Amino acid sequence: MTDDDKPILASAKDVEKTFVTGKVEVRALRGVDIEVREGEMLALVGPSGSGKTTLLNLLGALDRPTRGEVVVLGEDLGKLGKSARARLRLGSLGFVFQAYNLVPVLTARENVEFVLELRGAPRAERRARSAEVLADLGLAGLADRRPNELSGGQQQRVAVARAVAARPKLVLADEPTANLDSENAEQLMALMRRLNVEHGVTFVFSTHDPRVVAHATRIVTLVDGRVASDQAREAA
Amino acid sequence: MSIELGTPLTRYAVRSLGRNARRTALSVVGIAFGVGVALFGLAWIRGEGQMTARAAAGSGVGHMRVAPHDFLLTRDDDLRLSDAAELLARVREVPGVEVAAPYARAGVLVAIGTRSVQVELTGVDPEAEPRALRFIRELSSGHYLAPGEDGQIVLGTTLVERLGAELGDELVVMTMDRNGDMQSAILVLVGIASSGSRQIDTGIAQASLADVAALTGRDEIAEITVVASDVHAIDEVHARVARVVGGAADVLTWQEVAPALVAGVATDAAFMNVAALIVLVVVLLGVASAQLTAVLERKKELAVLAALGMRASALVRVVLMEGTALGVAAGIVAIAWAVPLIAHLASAGVDLRAFFGEEQSLALGGVLLDPVFYPEFGPWVFWMAFVMSLAATIVASLYPAVFAARTDPASALRADA
Repeated sequence: MTDDDKPILASAKDVEKTFVTGKVEVRALRGVDIEVREGEMLALVGPSGSGKTTLLNLLGALDRPTRGEVVVLGEDLGKLGKSARARLRLGSLGFVFQAYNLVPVLTARENVEFVLELRGAPRAERRARSAEVLADLGLAGLADRRPNELSGGQQQRVAVARAVAARPKLVLADEPTANLDSENAEQLMALMRRLNVEHGVTFVFSTHDPRVVAHATRIVTLVDGRVASDQAREAA
Repeated sequence: MSIELGTPLTRYAVRSLGRNARRTALSVVGIAFGVGVALFGLAWIRGEGQMTARAAAGSGVGHMRVAPHDFLLTRDDDLRLSDAAELLARVREVPGVEVAAPYARAGVLVAIGTRSVQVELTGVDPEAEPRALRFIRELSSGHYLAPGEDGQIVLGTTLVERLGAELGDELVVMTMDRNGDMQSAILVLVGIASSGSRQIDTGIAQASLADVAALTGRDEIAEITVVASDVHAIDEVHARVARVVGGAADVLTWQEVAPALVAGVATDAAFMNVAALIVLVVVLLGVASAQLTAVLERKKELAVLAALGMRASALVRVVLMEGTALGVAAGIVAIAWAVPLIAHLASAGVDLRAFFGEEQSLALGGVLLDPVFYPEFGPWVFWMAFVMSLAATIVASLYPAVFAARTDPASALRADA
């Protein structure tokens, strides 16, 4: 199967997104077309204000476009209400944030279990799955620590564990290495690449960091809310 | 230290309260204070109800009154019970009846020398009366009417002062009999009653039933005041007395006999309820403000949870769980401080004489209230503490919960951008 034959997980067609702040209109996206296929490590790159986060929001079913069509896992976001989009995110999507955004009052294990509980997984399954994924990401010994007892790199690995625990089809990561030093950034990207290769997890991540881009199998460059280039490549 | 409690969602809610321990502690103390005050208000209202029933019983109103038909509408002293002696005997046999005291009343003029006062003279059974009317049990001077000895009168201090009379004085008592003829009798002042209330003392004028019958020309009894042996069983005793009396007369409740007293108690209860409600509302607004602040401080975190797929209903549930945990904690603290206080005051009483001024006793609607007030204490205090604190915190959490439910999940990423 070639890359073009792989199923499309998310797509945007002629998508525009405009934010209105007071009397000021900001056109964050101006006619974006993109398809995300299963098994990709897709990097969204571009300068600040180019629309990377806005596009991630749309592909992650966090927002709806002002114009155009966004389809995520076969669901047209324009036709989904708030609750249906929440259901879609919970059931099929994972998120990794720039600032980790772990729940500070829960331990690493509980942070991972939290998403599983929201999905209605029984206690035994939650326990087993969280233990499995934490061990897989080298966090077994840190499971009972709270975020403030973990380093930045460890917290971001827990965030990845939380994102993949429910076996989502698509994980969206917004500048996941922005708060990490080079070593931790490299480790995190290697980890995400391993999940991509071994478990078939599809990642879409935004970044400024060329070292991170090196791990992508496809690079989409955004400039002024438009796709400036879209290149497939061999990941490092 | 981790609290192993329920699901991660529950743990998240409970542990979130520990993020700002000082704010949570202040909220708990505030709610506990408000709930404690409200509990005390309720205990006061409940105690006042029972105290009023006791006061009514000891002030001649009784717990119930067997009265002729139409008495309730006319309050006519000339009305008399049919076959009263037999009725009295039957009522006295009813289980739970502590005392059944017969009365006949007449408007009279009492005079000595050039002084006179107009009073309602009450004909009583000297044997039963001291058990029915507490402030003639110990007279300030003299003795009470002796059973079987007519021609005697007992007056309240105020009346005696107005007449300028002394013990042993012969007082002329005049009234119109049933035929409209003026009748008079000479009664010897044998006792002076001092209830502590000048208002009550003005109404104390008692003679034997026989003397009142001689003056009015009416032999029968006008009413029978019944006191139950257990203040908590008044309703049951009332039902039994009503069965015994049948259609021969009305059996009135003390509330029907003394409506002014009931109105006074109802006014007090309303005031206390409003005061307690105001305290609870102030507390509720304070808690709502604290909860909203807590939600605002976690706006980013809640957006992340929403982004992960947490539905609005689950966000509402989390905030309400936090409110519930606050309520439980506040209920425990409220019980810790308010229950011992209420229990102590329920047994030791609250002496209100400091608020009465010179009067030293409080009379309401012709009933002498006990100056030492006893709030009611019972198991209800415990569950009511939790009901009130949970109701307050859950209601206070509603707006913050709705606010949390409106969290825009897209802001989880936007804030990072």
